[in-house]
Amino acid sequence: MANKTSRREFVKKSAAVLAGAIVLPQIIPSSAFGMGKRIAPSDRIAMGAIGTGSQGMSNMGDFLGLKNAVQFVAVCDVDTRHLSKAKETVDNSYKNKDCRTYGDYREFLEKEKVDAVSIALPDHWHGIIYSAAANKKLNVYGEKPICRTIKDGQTIVEAVKKNNIIWQTGSWQRSLYNFRRGAELAINGRVGKLNYIEVGLPDGNKGIGTPPVQPVPVGLNWEMWLGPALKVPYRGVSHWDWRWILDYSGGQLTDWAGHHIDIANWGAGLEHTGPVEISGTGVYPVEGIFNVPVEYDFICKYANGIEMRVANAARLPLGMGTTWHGDLGWIHVDRGDVLTASDPKILNEVIGENEIQLYKSENHWQNFVDCVRSGKQAIAPVEVAFRAISVGLLGEIAMTTGQTIKWDPDKQEIIGNPRASRLLSRPYRQPWTLPTI
Amino acid sequence: MKKQFIFLLFTAIWLSLFTACKNESGFKTLIITGQNNHNWKASSPVLKQILDETGLFKAEIMITPDKGGDMNTFNPDFSKYKLVVLDYNGDSWSPKTNAAFVQYVSDGGGVVIYHAADNSFPEWKEYNEIIGLGGWGNRSEKDGPYVYYKNNTLVIDTTAGIGGSHGRRREFVVTNRITDHPITKGLPVYWFHATDELYSQLRGPAKNIQILATAFADSAAGGGTMRSEPMLMTITYGKGRIFHTAMGHADEGGGPAMQCAGFITTLQRGAEWAVTGNVTQPVPSDFPSAAGVVLRPDFKEITLEEALAKVGNYNIPKSTKYISCIQSHIRKLSGDEAGLLNLEKELNKILKSADASVESKKLLLRELSWMGTDYSVSEIKELTLNAELKDEAEFALSRLK
Repeated sequence: MANKTSRREFVKKSAAVLAGAIVLPQIIPSSAFGMGKRIAPSDRIAMGAIGTGSQGMSNMGDFLGLKNAVQFVAVCDVDTRHLSKAKETVDNSYKNKDCRTYGDYREFLEKEKVDAVSIALPDHWHGIIYSAAANKKLNVYGEKPICRTIKDGQTIVEAVKKNNIIWQTGSWQRSLYNFRRGAELAINGRVGKLNYIEVGLPDGNKGIGTPPVQPVPVGLNWEMWLGPALKVPYRGVSHWDWRWILDYSGGQLTDWAGHHIDIANWGAGLEHTGPVEISGTGVYPVEGIFNVPVEYDFICKYANGIEMRVANAARLPLGMGTTWHGDLGWIHVDRGDVLTASDPKILNEVIGENEIQLYKSENHWQNFVDCVRSGKQAIAPVEVAFRAISVGLLGEIAMTTGQTIKWDPDKQEIIGNPRASRLLSRPYRQPWTLPTI
Repeated sequence: MKKQFIFLLFTAIWLSLFTACKNESGFKTLIITGQNNHNWKASSPVLKQILDETGLFKAEIMITPDKGGDMNTFNPDFSKYKLVVLDYNGDSWSPKTNAAFVQYVSDGGGVVIYHAADNSFPEWKEYNEIIGLGGWGNRSEKDGPYVYYKNNTLVIDTTAGIGGSHGRRREFVVTNRITDHPITKGLPVYWFHATDELYSQLRGPAKNIQILATAFADSAAGGGTMRSEPMLMTITYGKGRIFHTAMGHADEGGGPAMQCAGFITTLQRGAEWAVTGNVTQPVPSDFPSAAGVVLRPDFKEITLEEALAKVGNYNIPKSTKYISCIQSHIRKLSGDEAGLLNLEKELNKILKSADASVESKKLLLRELSWMGTDYSVSEIKELTLNAELKDEAEFALSRLK
């Protein structure tokens, strides 16, 4: 029914709903019914998408794949080519032409009264837009890494907490069996007392040198794409290769910190803290505009004595993935359902009722929807995501400065190193500023 | 008491003489060339330059008789040298010279086998043990197994077949397989090598050999074996250490394969290891990575002074190697306040310079934003009035405050 509901009918039906009639499923935000904050299980969640490039569309596909869970009503992107593709996907899904489009997230947030928004943007935009969406009391499914800098992350965490919204990070490995099972075995001491963790992330890739300055493609608002980042001429790096430029990202390291470091923290009980000392080295491209480390290798020491080594996969014995080492053995997890251990018997261990039961989700996007309805915390909450990316960002600072960084995980400050402390934030280009919370 | 003093004095003199000898002249090195199916006239002076550049070696080039010439006249006194570099692929030497070379290696002499030198002397048993793996010259299963990596596993393959092949010349990625060896320690695991022949299907006795690095011979470029073929090897023979690089195909003036900063650095490190068993040379700031090839047209590493002198010319799409070099030095200076301040002053000079490009100033402002001190603030404040540099200057000031 709802998928055939036009704007005009919607208004009529809204009146009927307000009068107490039941019209299901609904696509309007719960607030429109005066039902309070939460949404009835039978109602669809009115949803928007900001950022509809490859990852945004992938998430949209996952949400659309959930049965009658959400209804996308509006999409926003700085590139009209992405925008029209997103609108087409939504409209095709509902067999109508109703999906509204925006080129500016501010207009989107001003006009759209949705329950939730799925956001997938280059990292340098996360600080501003995640915080702004939270300030509008929208529940957010936000892509990892949740921030480009520690300062951005602190602002986002604050905004999410203060506005009491449901937040789900796109760290979807948490919703897969092998990662949860491995983490649950590790945190319950099945390899003894944990003392060392290895996290293997992707090796760097070939650069593209320095592509020539070229005309901005028709439809792309380059100025808006740059936003708070320093102004540079367009060289064709807007939609994929931004990942290899420090103004927008920390490369493979920060891209993947939100996955395998997040899982490492989950299984080691480090989700709500951070390292106290970080040191290591990176390999940087010599030529070209790509300037993220293409190889990286750093050690994080934690107050409880655990050490975590984060490196590009080629440097680690087990390559990609997370390996928890305890005094009795190790457990390794990776994509492709990888779950192995020093002794296969470890994997058959039963976790008792009185032991730690990790949060269970079988579908990351469904978990978000369920939590938006129930008001419960999602499986990948914001502070936990912040702690995961913090490890990557502190590693980046240690490599940039060539120094051993001392970190206070409670105050979230670098100790006694003014130079390194400056790298905790990236100044924004005027007129952009982080929202005040 | 007196005796002790004299002994100490003599020791001191002897040590200083030894040090002086090494510092002023370096390890005496003999580069043997004169016959090769490759352009030895181009490669041998480049090899000499690359080795001399380190300050560790004093290399001389010895040219053998021409093809068909009287090899009895070729009698190097190997015992005078710490290192012998072979850039030779030609006629057999005299039995006497062969014996002297084997003796030299057995006694602990260092050897570098360079590119086509592993084609040479297919019939000479000891030589093939010294090079570990070789190619061409009718080498086949009779000469030993193929050695390569497949699926990240070292394979010793005794299958029958030819020894030695290569596809079309191209850039390729080298993978360091042993990363804690003195030669490879501290280097990236993956690095791009400039256009070269990718030697494949080398085979030989492969005794006492370590495969330090390989390159994947893909089929796309023709002649590919779909194996990761040995590129850098170490071999021990008696007391001698041998460093074998399969790379470095020479063009006139050296060409890209010899200009590659990765080729140069691994040759320099491998040569030092062959002499001493250790490597004291720091990893250069321009060592290539998976991101792409780095060439040294003059075979020299960029110094900080050169980078500071030339970074002002920076203008996309010119090379970014000078700013990369400066960044690398900032990291190396970490904790050295005086050194960092000196560098900051140098960067400020470039900011003030009317000749330096806007692009270079933008890059330097980003570096100064975090590594700078109060020293830079007034200069950067002035740049906020410059329309072209306003954003970057404000970016830097915002962090420096």
